[in-house]
Amino acid sequence: MLDVEHLCFRYPEQARGWEYHFSLSPGHCVAIHGASGSGKTTLLNLIAGFLEPDSGQIKWNGTPIQNLKPWNRPVTSVFQEHNLFEHLDVATNIGLGLHPGLKLTSEQKKSINQGLERTGLAGFGTRMPGDLSGGQRQRVALVRAILRRQPLLLLDEPLTGLDSEAKTALRAMLLEEKSRGVALVLASHDEDDRKLLADSYWNL
Amino acid sequence: MLYRFSVLLLALTLPLAAHSADQPVLNVYTHPSFAAEWGPGPGVKEAFEKQCACILNYTVLNSGGDILQRLRLEGASTPADVVLGLDTATMETALQTGLIGEHSRSLEPLDLPIDWDDAHFIPYDWGYFAFVYDTQQLPEPPSSFEELINSPDDLKIIIQDPRTSTPGLGLLLWMHSVYGDKAPAKWEQLNNKILATTQSWSDGYFSLFMNGEAPMILSYSTSPAYHMAVDKTDRYQAVQFEEGHYLQVEVAALVESSKQKTLARSFLDFMLTPEFQEHIPLKNVMYPAIDLGDDLPRVFDRLITPEPTFFLPPAEVAKKRRQLVNDWLDAMTR
Amino acid sequence: MRSTPTKAPLSHPGWQLIPGQLLGLALLILVALGLGSMLITAGGLDLSTVLNSRYLRGVVWFTVWQATLSVLLSLALALPIARALARYRCFPGRSALLRVMELSLVLPTIVAVSGIIGVYGRQGWATGLWNEWFPGNGWNLYGLNGILLAHVFFNAPLAARVMLQSLEAVPPSRLRIASQLGLRGWWLWRSVEWPALRPVLPGLSALVFTLCFTSFAIIMTLGGGPKATTLEVAIYQALRFEFDFPQAAVLAVIQLLICGSLWWLVFRQRLQSSLLPNRQLSHGIPLKPWPIQSVLAGFLLLIFSLFLLLPLLAISLRGLPALLAMDTGTSIYEQLLPATGRSLLIALPAGFGAVAASLLILASANKTKHPILKAIPTTTGYLPLIVPPIVLGTGLFLLLRPGLGNHAQGWVLVALINSLMALPFVIQVLRAPLTSVDSHTLRVADQLGILGWYRWRRIYWPLLRRPMALGLAYGIALSMGDFGVIALFGSPGQPTLPVLLYQQLGSYQVSAAAGTGLWLLMLLVGIFGVLSAIGRPPAHQQKNGSPQSLLEPKHA
Repeated sequence: MLDVEHLCFRYPEQARGWEYHFSLSPGHCVAIHGASGSGKTTLLNLIAGFLEPDSGQIKWNGTPIQNLKPWNRPVTSVFQEHNLFEHLDVATNIGLGLHPGLKLTSEQKKSINQGLERTGLAGFGTRMPGDLSGGQRQRVALVRAILRRQPLLLLDEPLTGLDSEAKTALRAMLLEEKSRGVALVLASHDEDDRKLLADSYWNL
Repeated sequence: MLYRFSVLLLALTLPLAAHSADQPVLNVYTHPSFAAEWGPGPGVKEAFEKQCACILNYTVLNSGGDILQRLRLEGASTPADVVLGLDTATMETALQTGLIGEHSRSLEPLDLPIDWDDAHFIPYDWGYFAFVYDTQQLPEPPSSFEELINSPDDLKIIIQDPRTSTPGLGLLLWMHSVYGDKAPAKWEQLNNKILATTQSWSDGYFSLFMNGEAPMILSYSTSPAYHMAVDKTDRYQAVQFEEGHYLQVEVAALVESSKQKTLARSFLDFMLTPEFQEHIPLKNVMYPAIDLGDDLPRVFDRLITPEPTFFLPPAEVAKKRRQLVNDWLDAMTR
Repeated sequence: MRSTPTKAPLSHPGWQLIPGQLLGLALLILVALGLGSMLITAGGLDLSTVLNSRYLRGVVWFTVWQATLSVLLSLALALPIARALARYRCFPGRSALLRVMELSLVLPTIVAVSGIIGVYGRQGWATGLWNEWFPGNGWNLYGLNGILLAHVFFNAPLAARVMLQSLEAVPPSRLRIASQLGLRGWWLWRSVEWPALRPVLPGLSALVFTLCFTSFAIIMTLGGGPKATTLEVAIYQALRFEFDFPQAAVLAVIQLLICGSLWWLVFRQRLQSSLLPNRQLSHGIPLKPWPIQSVLAGFLLLIFSLFLLLPLLAISLRGLPALLAMDTGTSIYEQLLPATGRSLLIALPAGFGAVAASLLILASANKTKHPILKAIPTTTGYLPLIVPPIVLGTGLFLLLRPGLGNHAQGWVLVALINSLMALPFVIQVLRAPLTSVDSHTLRVADQLGILGWYRWRRIYWPLLRRPMALGLAYGIALSMGDFGVIALFGSPGQPTLPVLLYQQLGSYQVSAAAGTGLWLLMLLVGIFGVLSAIGRPPAHQQKNGSPQSLLEPKHA
C-alpha cells in the first residue's frame, strides 16, 4: 500500500510548487494526466528518490520511505526513453536489474531468456540497445522492470511514441503485472492508456 | 604470462638488493660517465672490493652540480661517504656547504701540470679544455683564438653554456685567462661563429657535432684519444691554441658526516694507485692523476701538449664566476 | 517484495571523495614545502631583483614570447590537420598517422632533437633540398626558428589530436543537417566546427603554452645562445653553480604566477572541462566539399606526415647501425635488455599509478560541489606542469628525509615522481569520458543499486577502457623516456634506458647512444601499439549478432 501524504516540492528559483496527496493499493493503477510541465515526472522522481521533497511523507505499507536512497526503495521506474545502458547488450541490461554486480544464478539467467521470449525478443540477448527499435527498447526496459519483482512500478510515458502493435503488447504485460498485485503509477497523456490500464485517474 | 614477466623483471633487479649484511658499505656519489658499465666505475669497484672487505656503492647523479645539490639537501644526514666527480669550478661551493671533510692523505703520488696541496680535495684525473674538430670538414682549423675570431663567418663552432655546463664555464675562464678585461669584447666578436650554446657537453657532441652540424666543438684535449683508440679513427682531433689552454681537474672528497671515514680514506688512498688510475685514460678519457709510466696508452702520445697552462685557484673562480657569467651574458645578448 | 538489495562493495561515498582529496593535498604540501624551503633559505621574496636586471627581464619576456608564438603556430597547423582528419575518415595510413601523433609528445627530447637536426639542421636532408631549390634562402635552424619548429613538432600533433576528437564528437544529427543544407566553408565552421572546438581551445592553448613555457633542452640546444633563455633555464642556472636560492625562488614564483594565472583564467571560463571529449564516432557523413578540397587536404596531410616522420626516420637511420652491428665484441643488447627491464620496472608502476591516481582525482573532483574541495584534486592536473622539477624535488627530499638511503626506495620514488609528472596528461585523457556518463544513465544505475565497485565495473569500465589504455600509454611512455627525474634523484649504478643513453652520451659512445635512442623509440611505438590494441572495444560491440553468450561480456 502506497501512501503519499501532503508531499510538497518546489524547484529552487521557481515560483510554482506542488503538493501531492493520495493512496494506492496493490494491484491498482493510478493514471496521472496533465500537460508537460504539470508535475507528472516530478511526482515519479519524488517517489523513486531522485528528488527530495520539501515536506510530507511517502509510506510503503505504513513505513516511511522518503529517506531511503533510490536503490533501497521498493520501486522500479520505466522512463519514456534512456532506460538502457547503451554500451551494454540487452541481456546484461536486464541482468543488472536482478543483481547490481551481475552475479546471477542459472535460474535468473533462464528467467531473462524467458522474459525476452515472452516479449517477442527471443535471441535478442546479445544485441546492443542502439540496434533496437524504440518499441523493442521499451520492451527490454519493461522485462527488466518486471523481473525485478518490486511491488511498485513507476511508469513515465512508457508507451509514448511507440507503434500501436508495441503498445498493445506492452499494455498486456502491464495488465498481467497488475493482476499479480503490483501497484502502478502511470504518467501519461494517452486516453487509451487511461481507459485500458487505470483504475483511477487525476488531472494535474 | 604477466606473472612470469614480473618474475623476470624481479630477477633483473635482484642484484640491486643483494647486500650481505656483515660487510661495511661505502657510498660514493658520482656522475654517469664514471659509473657507466664501460666507464672506470665497475673496474674500480672490483679492484677496491678485493682489498677492503667492503661493498662499494655508486649513486649516480647527473653532474657534479647535481651531486652538490643532493648533498646540500641531505645535509649531515647524507648517506654519502665520498663524492667523486666535482671539478675545480665547483670545489669552492662544495667547501662552503661545510659538508666536506679534510682528507689528511699524502698527495705524494700526484703528477699534475700544476702543484696541488688542497686539504679537502684529491684530484683523480685531469685534462685541458680544447676545441675538437672534424678533419674531413675542416682540414685547416684556426690555431688560436685570434685566428678563430677572425676567420670567415661560415666557420661555425659549438660551445656549451657556462651557466649549465662544466666545459662551458671552462671556456669562460679560459677566455678570461687569455684576454683578461678584453674578454667580453672578444666574446662579442666570437658571437657570430657560435652555432649553438648547448646545455651540456653531451647535447652538443651527440646532437650537433656528430651530426656534422659544425666542424668544431668545445671539448677536452683528450677526446681524440677515445676516437683513435676505441673508434679506430683519426678523423677527430684537438686543435692546439697558441695562447695556451685551461686546465680541468676532476676531484673527489670525503664527506664530513660519513660513518665510514676510515674506509673512505682508504678509498681516497686507493684512488691514487695504479689499480684505480689504469682505468682513467681510456674509460674516463682523461689524463691519469699519477704517473702510469708505460701503462699510459700510446694514443696519449699523439695528443696536443698545450703551453702555457692556465689555472685559476678554486677560491678565485668562486669569487669571479658570477661577474664573468654576467659579463658574458651582456656581451652575448647585446 | 525483495528484501534489502545486495550491497555493492566500495559503495560508501567516501571512497569517491577522500582518496582524490588526499592525493591533491599531498601534492600541494609537496609544492609548498619545496617552495617554502627555498623561500626560507632565501629569507623572503624580492621581486625587484628580477625587475632590475636587464637579463632577467629579457628572460621573462623571451619565455612568454616564444611560448605564445609556439601556441599560435601549433594551433594554426593543428586546425587544418584536425579538420582534414575529421572529414576524411578512411584513407590508408590514417590510424598509423594518429599513432605517430600520439607518439611525438612522449619522445625523449634529446632523441627527437637529434632527429629534427638530422632533417632541418645545416646538414639536414630538408635543408639540402631547400637550398637546392631556393639557393640563398638563408634558412637557419638555430635561434627562434629551431625553437618554434621543435615546439610545433612536439605540440601540433597533440593539439590536432585533441581537436580531432572534438570534431568527431559532433552529434550526427547536427552533421546530417549540415550535410543536407550543403554547408561549407565559413558557415560549416560557424555552425558545426567552431561550437565543437570552442570548449577545448582555452584548455588546449593553456596546455601547449605551459609545455613551451617550461621548455628547457630544446631551447638550449636549438636556441643558438643566451639570447634564448627561458625561466626554467634561469632557475637551473641559479642552482647549478651558484646555489642562489633567493634567485631560484623568485624565478620559480614568477613561473608559477604566469602559468598559474593562465590556468585560473581557463578555469574561470569553465571551459576546461573536456580537453579530450568522449569519443562517440558519428559515422562518416558526407559534407559538401570545395572543388579541390580533397586534393588540398591530402597534400596537407602528406606534408604533415612527412614533417612528423622524417625526424623519426633520421633517428632510425642513425641508430640502426648500432642495433644491427654484430661484430663489436660485446653486443649492445647486453646493456640494452637489462636497462629495458629496469625501465619497465619503473615505468609500468608509474603508468598504472598515474591512471589510478587520475581516476581517484577525477572522481573526487566530480563528487563534490564545494569549490575548495573541488579545487584541491583539480590542481594536480596542472601543478606538475608548472612547478619546476627542482622545486618538487626539494619538497620531496624535505618530506622524506632522512632515509633515502637504499636503492629500492630510490626506485619507488622515481616511479612515484614519474607518475606525478604524467598526471596532467592522463587526467586530460580521462576527464571527458568519466564525466560524459549522462544523468539518465546514472539515475537508472542508482535505482538498480549499481553502486561502488559494480558501477565502476559495469558502467565506467566499458566506457573508459579505451581512454584508460591511452592514458596508460602516456603514463608508461613519459616515464620510460624521462631523464629529468631520475637524474635529479640519482640512480643506482645499473642504468635505466634513459640513464644508459646519458652514460653513452657522456662517454663518446655516439653510435651506441643513437642505437639506444632508436631502441627507446621502438619501445614507445610498441607500447602505444599494444595498448591501443588492448583498448579497442570487444568485437561484439562493433558487429551485431556475434554468437558468443554475452551475459558475461569478455573484457581484456
